Amino acid sequence: MTDTADAQQSLEATLKGEIVRMYQEVADHPDGEFHFFHGREAAELFDYPREWLDRAPAGAVASFAGVGNPHERAQLKPGETVLDLGSGAGLDAIIASWAVGATGKVIGVDLNPSMCLKAQAHAAATGASMECHEGRMEDIPVPDASVDVVISNGVVNLSFRKRRVVEEIFRVLRPGGRMSITDIVSAKQLSQSIVNDPKLWAS
Amino acid sequence: MFRLLEETGFTRVRSAVVPHFRFRKQATQNSAEAYGVKAVMFTALKP
Repeated sequence: MTDTADAQQSLEATLKGEIVRMYQEVADHPDGEFHFFHGREAAELFDYPREWLDRAPAGAVASFAGVGNPHERAQLKPGETVLDLGSGAGLDAIIASWAVGATGKVIGVDLNPSMCLKAQAHAAATGASMECHEGRMEDIPVPDASVDVVISNGVVNLSFRKRRVVEEIFRVLRPGGRMSITDIVSAKQLSQSIVNDPKLWAS
Repeated sequence: MFRLLEETGFTRVRSAVVPHFRFRKQATQNSAEAYGVKAVMFTALKP
């Protein structure tokens, strides 16, 4: 392996740790102050209907850390299989499970296994069913062509290898499947000091 | 991201800026604006 590849791998490992730490912090201390909006305040900012937020478990709402509302254009239908990439505490997956109903299926994937447990517990509390797999978005632990819809909320931007992530989303979707994701983009190339700082990148 | 989606094979790629997105801390928001940072919704279809 080259020095450059070594350095990239090391930076990715550090970044993974920082991402897990930051979003675990949001889940464990939702009353804390972060530089981004989170919880119900953020969800309302992005026009999540109040009835959804009242119906969902308080813990899932309080730990919400999305950057928009992927449900707005997802047009989920009963019976569909939905993958929530970076499912966190589970709010988007739970909302998806209401849309696809008992004949559908919702799969969460998250870097952090404790977030998967939390999301599944939140889903179970509402009678929703959700399976969650620990995994990376660069290697989604889901078979080829097995998903009707991929949703994601503020997660893809956290990867250094976005092309790989997009290829993985394409791989897991069935022909005719669709994606609806909200994400952070930058019009300008970020400075190397930001790219090399996992804390800033994870933000 | 838009180009990445098209290059990967997705069709009907659409994007729209998330209207109310902003950072809580003003200093972060100022830096974000300097870099043209936005939240965007992307939708696309696998043919």
